[in-house]
Amino acid sequence: MGGFEDDEPPSKRARASSVEPASLLDSFSCLKPAAPLGSTMARPLPSQGKEVMVGSKGVIKRDEFVRIITKALYSLGYEKSGAVLEEESGITLHSPTVNLFRRQVLDGNWDSAVVTLKKVGLLDENIVKSAIFLILEQKFLELLRNDNVMGAIRTLQSEITPLGVNKKRVHELSGCIISSPQHVLLGFSKLGIESSNSRLKLLEELQKVLPPTVMVPERRLENLLEQALTVQREACYFHNSIDGLSLYTDHHCGKDQLPSCTVQVLRAHRDEVWFLQFSNNGKYLASASNDKSAIIWKVDEDGELLLKHTLTGHDKPVMMVAWSPDDCQLLTCGMEEVIRCWDVESGKCLHVYEKSGIGLISCGWFPDGKHILSGLTDHNFCLWDLDGKEVDCWKGQRSSKTSDFAVSNDGKLIISMNRESTIRLFDRETKQERLIEEDNTITSFSLSEDGDFLLVNLISEAIHLWNIRNCPIRVNRYAGHKRSRFVIRSCFGGSEQAFIASGSEDSQVW
Amino acid sequence: MGLLFVQRLDGNGVFKCRRCRVDAASKDAIISKEFQGSSGRAYLFDHVVNICLGPNEDRYLITGLHTVNDIYCSCCQQILGWRYEKAYDQSQKYKEGKFILERARMWKDS
Repeated sequence: MGGFEDDEPPSKRARASSVEPASLLDSFSCLKPAAPLGSTMARPLPSQGKEVMVGSKGVIKRDEFVRIITKALYSLGYEKSGAVLEEESGITLHSPTVNLFRRQVLDGNWDSAVVTLKKVGLLDENIVKSAIFLILEQKFLELLRNDNVMGAIRTLQSEITPLGVNKKRVHELSGCIISSPQHVLLGFSKLGIESSNSRLKLLEELQKVLPPTVMVPERRLENLLEQALTVQREACYFHNSIDGLSLYTDHHCGKDQLPSCTVQVLRAHRDEVWFLQFSNNGKYLASASNDKSAIIWKVDEDGELLLKHTLTGHDKPVMMVAWSPDDCQLLTCGMEEVIRCWDVESGKCLHVYEKSGIGLISCGWFPDGKHILSGLTDHNFCLWDLDGKEVDCWKGQRSSKTSDFAVSNDGKLIISMNRESTIRLFDRETKQERLIEEDNTITSFSLSEDGDFLLVNLISEAIHLWNIRNCPIRVNRYAGHKRSRFVIRSCFGGSEQAFIASGSEDSQVW
Repeated sequence: MGLLFVQRLDGNGVFKCRRCRVDAASKDAIISKEFQGSSGRAYLFDHVVNICLGPNEDRYLITGLHTVNDIYCSCCQQILGWRYEKAYDQSQKYKEGKFILERARMWKDS
């Protein structure tokens, strides 16, 4: 983007004059050979000749630039500053005809405004008619507001209808007359303040109808700046900023804003850690381990993690944890064993969920916090209430020992692994089923916070991003991490979950 | 280390790793039973699970020069056979991308 320059100093304006065609200068000197130099400089710049540009790229017309600045000053309420800028620059915001037109609209001189409008020099007849229609509509409504029904009828029949535009609206206006006088009074206020407000609104409507070269659009300068900031943010490759954007400098998030340094090592488990999950409010972290225990860590004010509870009781390695929606309870799943529910505050085991003869291999909460979901070694999925009563059960076709699933925030959509390379999206209300077919075996997946995206890890060392809002569409593909033997998980993160992170068998985080 | 990703195969006649009993291949995936490995008979499969690959190696086999990867059980890391990455003899091209599992290292579910 080109930088915005200060208004040019007088010497530069003089220099701009010097680039006028020589013949033009000659004709000036012929016409007034004895004119003093001072009066020549005081004369406004000629409108003919080469257009003066500002900015390093030479694409901004000086007249246009000054006009949108003037417009911004007036819009901000700086009447004197706007007027001074017009005088000093010699560039008026609007032509005298347009200024007269605006004043007539604000004063309610409708017939004069129509006459003036036709002198503005518009080329498009349809634009003129549309603008005249708006003016006469306002005239009609104000006559009606002032109980001048005969005047309103005359305006409608003799002035509005012959225009032949917006017939539907003409019918609506007719309906206003037919309505009972009481209804009309209810519909319109007699206060004078309403007139001036509605006339300002009319002026804004006219600005939308008329070409921007005739009347500078409202908030043009603000719109241009917002476009620039939006483009900067969208071009920001590592955008991960919570702070707002600034006009003082171009926006840019450096790579250094991404986490890349180890700040703490947690040492409490006695064997491999297989699963990690932060609580929804970010105050706790749960870790699951091959040592048959899970640990709840507390995040203190400095962001440091402190051991809060060690949860023991499982007879098998703990392979998954799940936080309840209110973060008061935690589920842990022993490998092909049982699911335990723990109280986060006290660290006590509240309940054990099991099915005789069948191992459980995954666990999750329903968004209502009153049901839990689990995958089983016999390929089925079970829905339980908190007391351990089985509420629902349905078949899967999964053939691995891990079985990810997710539930949307509204509890309607259940996402589960189906066959080796298929993910099933099941709508519990409509009973509709949609499938995501991958070209390789799926090892794990995770759902974004807004429920619109699914991140799928494959056996082939690829990660696919799917948009599942409607028909599932694969929108991106990531590669680079290593996977050969283990379950590798990935997740969304960063500002507005715009980043993904993935584990890797080469001990890196991608 | 980490949580192993283990797949299960459906149906009867599943070949498993003899040491850790994890599924390796289905009998339906057998292409040929006429191969020989260092421990005796070997079978050619077009699809196997729960394995990981060693690096590419050039080897002279009975049928000529091939580029192969050793196959290890992804659970117990026992060597199970090899995979054909590339065959240089035109008549052996059908083996590319296929897997050899040695019978002596497999346990068959009846």
